[in-house]
Amino acid sequence: MRLITTLFGKLGEWSKKYANLPDRYIDRISERVLWKSPPGKPQYLNRKIVANRKLYYSIHRPWTTHFQFQNWVLKRRQWYPLEPIKDWSFFRGDRVEVLVGPDKGKQGIVHDIIQERNWIIVQGLNTKVVIYDKRKNFPGICRRMELPLLVNVQVKLVDPFDLKATSIEWRYTEQGEHVRVSLRTGRIIPIPVTSKETIDYKSPDIYVERAKDTTVDDVKELTFEAKLKTFEMDIMDKMEIKEDRIPRKSYWY
Amino acid sequence: MATFTKIVQISRAVNNVTKLFTNLVLSQNSGRSSTFIQRIPTFPCGLIHTTSKRNDLMEFFDDPKNWDKDKIRVGRSWRKDELRLKSNEELHKLWYVLLKERNMLLTMEEIYKREHKYFPNPERIDKVEDSMANLESVVRERNKAYYMLETGTTGERPVTLKYNPLGLRYRYRLRQYSKPKHANPKWHKTHKFGYGGCAVFKFLRLYREKLWNEKRKSRNRQMNRVATLMRIFPNLDMEAVKEQYPLVDIEKVKKLRKTDGHFVRD
Repeated sequence: MRLITTLFGKLGEWSKKYANLPDRYIDRISERVLWKSPPGKPQYLNRKIVANRKLYYSIHRPWTTHFQFQNWVLKRRQWYPLEPIKDWSFFRGDRVEVLVGPDKGKQGIVHDIIQERNWIIVQGLNTKVVIYDKRKNFPGICRRMELPLLVNVQVKLVDPFDLKATSIEWRYTEQGEHVRVSLRTGRIIPIPVTSKETIDYKSPDIYVERAKDTTVDDVKELTFEAKLKTFEMDIMDKMEIKEDRIPRKSYWY
Repeated sequence: MATFTKIVQISRAVNNVTKLFTNLVLSQNSGRSSTFIQRIPTFPCGLIHTTSKRNDLMEFFDDPKNWDKDKIRVGRSWRKDELRLKSNEELHKLWYVLLKERNMLLTMEEIYKREHKYFPNPERIDKVEDSMANLESVVRERNKAYYMLETGTTGERPVTLKYNPLGLRYRYRLRQYSKPKHANPKWHKTHKFGYGGCAVFKFLRLYREKLWNEKRKSRNRQMNRVATLMRIFPNLDMEAVKEQYPLVDIEKVKKLRKTDGHFVRD
């Protein structure tokens, strides 16, 4: 749709799931506009010049100011090796075991997904201490910040049967469902309900309709009738506008 | 007595109008802490009905309840599949609902900018614009179907491929003229197609070389990247690699010295 998506690939599906933002907004907010025709001036064509530089993804999400600042600074970034993954298998709310670092062997819940870097953030594990506001006469405020973990090397999913780490495989059930299967015990690891959670609702079926929302029944109502008319002809008939002028002959070239 | 009541009514109406103008003047005052002034109902029927009919300039502004909110939650945009169910008349109405909503949002964005405040949930504009784009495409789809049935063409503005004087191909969108082509000398002066001359051919040769170099470089880069990935990650999913790096010959990369890592490959 947009230049950014065609040139540099899309933002991962799961990394924007929780924020519940439309793609058009993410593209608009993360693209770097160098020049834009001034608004309200008809002598300019509606044009825009966008820097076609590859976006750098880190733990900051594209709709944050951190991300925009990081991408605004002209800096040549090194290519980071990224293992291509066909089916993403870590979702929000999954129980995982950390395989490296000071929290090796501990289990935690997946809190955030950054698919562009093959990263997940596990709640409360693999942290570093950040000291904020340190001055001469003030020791500062310490805060623990979670660091991202590589999905293919540094974490493993936990089998719900025996609560131990396993490698998994995607398989189809007899009903045709695509499920994650633990390779050690052969049990299905269900996808958690919290994977559907967004900032606006806990799950889609308990969404509370707001004042400006159209109700489900109104959306599903079928009012279309096929007629041998264009849209304009149909509207003119409904509004009782009669057009009987004959257009002059014209040439297309 | 009748004349007296008439005068009173007129004076009331004038009073309402002046109130409206004072509102407008005050709302432009950006130095104040609260620019939004409570709307005074100009329609007496607004007090009778449950939902007041607003045909004044305040329709460009959001509901006063939302003015101080940090977050205004709304649903998603209309999808094409949902719009295909709706009749032309309903789509026509929905277009104007969306247009009014977009005008309102753009006005509010500007007001928040003047106040040096954050505009809550700016993605609402994109949701409305998405819906409008979807609606337009559904209408186009219907018109295309009609024209294909009736005339065998799409009924859209025709496009042809032409070469410009630099020898590059582009899509020329045809225009409608009242005169035929041969009787329009001005058009022939301003529309030059086709190319020739040794300078243009030299340019084209160099341009093609540049394009080829870009392609070659991207293929080599992809090959080097796949080799690095093979060295670092022993359990690579080759199908996924092929999908992401389509220009690479994987069997050729496997033979490279670069691919060998510090592990035994089976």
